[in-house]
Amino acid sequence: MTTEQEKPEIADESGDKYKYGFVTDIASDTAPKGLSEDIIRLISQKKGEPDWLLERRLEAFRFWQKLKEPTWAKLSYDKIDYQDLYYYSAPKQKVAPKSLDEVDPELLKTYEKLGIPLKEQEVLSGVVAVDAVFDSVSVATTYRAKLAEKGVIFCPISEAIKEYPELVKKYLGSVVPYTDNFFACLNSAVFTDGSFVYIPKGVRCPMELSTYFRINAQNTGQFERTLIIADEGSYVSYLEGCTAPQRDENQLHAAIVEIVVLKDAEVKYSTVQNWYPGDKDGKGGVYNFVTKRAACRGANSKVSWTQVETGSAITWKYPSCILQGDNSVGEFYSVAITNNRQQADTGTKMIHLGCNTSSKIISKGISAGRSNQTYRGLVKVSPNADNARNYSQCDSLLIGPDCGSHTIPYVENRNKTAKLEHEATTSKISEEQLFYCQQRGIGEEEAVSLIVNGFCKEVMQHLPLEFAIEAAKLINISLEGSVG
Amino acid sequence: MGELVQKVELMGSDLPWLEGLREKGAVFFEKQGLPTAKTEAWKYTRPRDLLADDFILPPLEEEKENACTCGEHCTCGHHQREGEDFLLQAYVIDFENGALEHIAHNLPRGVTIKPLIEAIYEDDGIRKYLNKSFDMEKNPFAALNTAYLEQGLFITIEKNVMLDKPLALVHHSFSCHENLMFHLRNVILLEEGAKAEIVEYYNYSGNEKSRYFTNIVNELYIGRHAELNHYKFQDEAFKAVHIAYNAVKVKGEGRYNGFCLQRGGNLARNETHVSLTEERAEAEINAAYIMNGWAVIDTTTDVEHLAPYTKSTQLVKGVVGGQAKGVFQGKIHIAPMAIKTEGAQLHKALLLTDEAEIDVKPELEIYNDDVKCSHGAASGELDADQLFYMRSRGIGEEEAKQILVDAYLQDVLEKINNQDIKDWLAAKAKLAK
Amino acid sequence: MKTPLLEIEDLCARVADKEIIKGFNLTINEGEVHAIMGPNGAGKSTLSHVLCGKPGYEITSGTVRYKGKNLLAMAPEERAREGIFLIMQYPVEIPGVPVTTFLKHAVNAIRQHRHEPELDTMEFIKLLREEGKKLGINPDMLKRPINVGFSGGEKKRLEALQLAILKPQFSILDEADSGLDVDAMKVVAEAINAERTEHNAMLVITHYQRLLKDIVPDYVHIYADGHIVASGNKDLALEVEEQGYAQFLKEK
Ligand SMILES: Nc1ncnc2c1ncn2[C@@H]1O[C@H](COP(=O)(O)OP(=O)(O)OP(=O)(O)O)[C@@H](O)[C@H]1O
Ligand SMILES: [Mg+2]
Repeated sequence: MTTEQEKPEIADESGDKYKYGFVTDIASDTAPKGLSEDIIRLISQKKGEPDWLLERRLEAFRFWQKLKEPTWAKLSYDKIDYQDLYYYSAPKQKVAPKSLDEVDPELLKTYEKLGIPLKEQEVLSGVVAVDAVFDSVSVATTYRAKLAEKGVIFCPISEAIKEYPELVKKYLGSVVPYTDNFFACLNSAVFTDGSFVYIPKGVRCPMELSTYFRINAQNTGQFERTLIIADEGSYVSYLEGCTAPQRDENQLHAAIVEIVVLKDAEVKYSTVQNWYPGDKDGKGGVYNFVTKRAACRGANSKVSWTQVETGSAITWKYPSCILQGDNSVGEFYSVAITNNRQQADTGTKMIHLGCNTSSKIISKGISAGRSNQTYRGLVKVSPNADNARNYSQCDSLLIGPDCGSHTIPYVENRNKTAKLEHEATTSKISEEQLFYCQQRGIGEEEAVSLIVNGFCKEVMQHLPLEFAIEAAKLINISLEGSVG
Repeated sequence: MGELVQKVELMGSDLPWLEGLREKGAVFFEKQGLPTAKTEAWKYTRPRDLLADDFILPPLEEEKENACTCGEHCTCGHHQREGEDFLLQAYVIDFENGALEHIAHNLPRGVTIKPLIEAIYEDDGIRKYLNKSFDMEKNPFAALNTAYLEQGLFITIEKNVMLDKPLALVHHSFSCHENLMFHLRNVILLEEGAKAEIVEYYNYSGNEKSRYFTNIVNELYIGRHAELNHYKFQDEAFKAVHIAYNAVKVKGEGRYNGFCLQRGGNLARNETHVSLTEERAEAEINAAYIMNGWAVIDTTTDVEHLAPYTKSTQLVKGVVGGQAKGVFQGKIHIAPMAIKTEGAQLHKALLLTDEAEIDVKPELEIYNDDVKCSHGAASGELDADQLFYMRSRGIGEEEAKQILVDAYLQDVLEKINNQDIKDWLAAKAKLAK
Repeated sequence: MKTPLLEIEDLCARVADKEIIKGFNLTINEGEVHAIMGPNGAGKSTLSHVLCGKPGYEITSGTVRYKGKNLLAMAPEERAREGIFLIMQYPVEIPGVPVTTFLKHAVNAIRQHRHEPELDTMEFIKLLREEGKKLGINPDMLKRPINVGFSGGEKKRLEALQLAILKPQFSILDEADSGLDVDAMKVVAEAINAERTEHNAMLVITHYQRLLKDIVPDYVHIYADGHIVASGNKDLALEVEEQGYAQFLKEK
């Protein structure tokens, strides 16, 4: 078959379904296990950071020690021993690579295998610039020169801290303060790398920007930090992808993404999350505890989150929009698929503060196997947010008798001029639809995949094209073995 | 916190099991304490007023005269109620300030209504049902209610008996005693094939500033093929706290049909927890609230589908004015084996003023794939064009608003099967009291 | 010598504990067109569902052979791939799945089964457009999710389009005419007639003589109370149209 839903080759040697499960054999520079002020000092020193940042890290760490891990989500997992993790691991390199030619070929190969081309000349169309983050550090960022022509800054955040301290100092932690929550606080103390983006006034970023996260090292937490600043009247579309090797123990990933959107600017943030989900009995897999938040600071600003979540053993994630500027717009489009023993508690928050702000939430959840999935969302309208609008739709599809699907939308309205609408449905794939497909000769598994892709369509069409194709394939892979 | 739990001599203290149960209630309440912002089940409703330490149980009959604190301008005479009686055709049971006053005579055959304490002493069957329909560890106020078990009713409607008129439980509060608290427990049993309508009416008619706390627990058991229509109108004093917990168990092909109109109280919560325990059991929970001032009115539902082919629907509509806050929390839970179930829920609210607030938390919790569930929520304000249109035809603003509010509540009121009760409640669901 | 394509013997089936098909017998040979008429609720659609393997029906007794094979043991998609096609009385909506995507999956699944090469996207789109044009289906409709928001007549045209594309050997038309306007009826009948060959056969379920003027049947059967109560040639349809079913029901 040669259709857009075509199933990719997924058979690797072990016959397992997660094709990104390999481990790269590369020497790493790793800090000792455990978390303490000394470890934080070490990380900061290794990265050659300025004092103000070290101070912030320590402040966050001291606060974190007072916090308790949240338990309100519908998630159950063994207690994480935060002292049993490595907080810093970087592929050994003599000096920071100045160009791609200096990057370890083993690393380049890894990304090639993952389908992420890092060699610029190999990309014919040249429409995506990539920042590749391997364990705790950024190993390569492509197309920087071309972006620089337009004044766009796209670089590892560790570099931005040194090169653009004013921007970083001003905005880092301004959307997600370290006091925000347990995982965000931990990240603020120990984050190692991530991407930094600045789009200057009035610039439409000439290509999609993309970060590709890869956890490789064992027992290592990944704490990346992304900061995107869209200055007045600018536009950028940003993509994020992630994978991890197949390991029997759980890997911790606690990231922060902060987006600042100024007047008339727009940011489109797309994620295809495909961390290793664990095996079919729930062994191994990534714990994905992520805080993502965008602040629409200026009038007429807009943020749009699109996510396709198929991986991770545990997902805890609520990409949010703070709609501060008048007429600002927040959107959240999400497809989450859980199978086997995966658990996901995910959703969004739309905080309406400015006048005429509007938000839209489209969430499609698919649970199969013995997985459990929760949509948890908040729409909040403050007293001053006149004429706020929200439309939310949360649909869940259940496949098989042993899965669970939960929907908990919170709505808090303190302004009478707000118009808020929420709809949610839960059902299984209709037998009528399945029969109709089969009557036309389509096999059951293929029919399910057709129907599920149809169910997700509204969200998928918000993804950039190449991403959408990749995502459709992922959906099919994730559902394998869930039918019949 | 201990202030709500007081050492008092209640009837039945010579029954060790009853004393033990009360003791347990007190312990469970104290263990949980009053709900705080962190209590998920009470996220939007904080019963702060109950933190006060001055609530007391109503004085005994012989002490009443002396205990009157209403002073010089006592208008209550011998504490006679002046409020409106229940005028609809019904078998009326009157309560005054939390104490049973009168049970209708001429009850049809097959219907027994006993004061709770009497049923407890007679001990013919009530122990199978008393305190068996909820979990005290998760319901602080039901636990508190248990600590004070004494007042209330045990109602039995025997197999296949169909009541010709509603039973009306009319609660008059008019006391000039300040800071009373009433804890009422009704255990209502519909045997197989029985059919009944029950109306609860909480009516305040005393000194308008009276502050008191009503804490009600209804345990409703609906047998196979039985049907209960349960109507409630809550019109407490504007400083009152009213907390009601309805635990409903429905057996195979039985049906619970609830409607609650809330209009009074400073803080009021009507919580209904229905368990559909056997195949084809059904529940319908509808509610309306209309509020002004700075009240908080909370409608909380939790429907558990525990068996296949069960069905539930909910429609809740509210109108919030003044600086009031409306709260709706609704949960539909579907157990793993409850296949072919259907659950639907819709909440809508209208905000009338700039200070009004509405907080909503609907919840679907589903553990099996063979289901059809939905919920919806919407909130908005009165349509300015419609208002203007009516005013341009000479209708005054307040009246025009009322017309629109009437239209807004129309569909939920339509859910009431009994025409008299529908008319009565429609007349009560007004912006101005 | 006639080759039997479909042989139904003493078929009994029920749905939700209700006996619907009670001792149904019928043999359809290659090249034949049979029409079935009968009052509402007689069980005509039920028969068509049972023949296509729709879940939810319990076959209590009887056999059905298709091309000599036990039809009842086959999965619904196998039956379809073996050439059975059903124009449904109430085609199902599938949100988010465009007609083209859907049909491409179907065509290629069937071609693969027949060991024919898969159609590439260009060939397929061309074929779809051409056939669609004949049926008065405009290309925009092909981009929409299948049946979602389609009018009754549009759904039936789309069913006919699928028939034309999938080229079945045995087609069951369950009220293919309902909802169609006069002109559309002609167009649809034409598309269906185009599939009549000496090897293909059809079972036409209808309430009206009208359709049978365009798709002339070799046999007409009256179906009531779960089985065939009368059979004849095309004139029987006229008789029904004039006199209703009463006479057949009494005869029983
Ligand atoms: N799932 C079901 N549960 C109960 N009864 C059913 C079910 N499906 C069909 N029936 C009943 O079976 C009978 C036959 O239905 P069927 O749709 O086959 O009739 P029909 O002959 O096609 O009628 P029409 O001419 O109206 O299309 C009807 O009485 C119908 O109500
Ligand atoms: Mg039919």
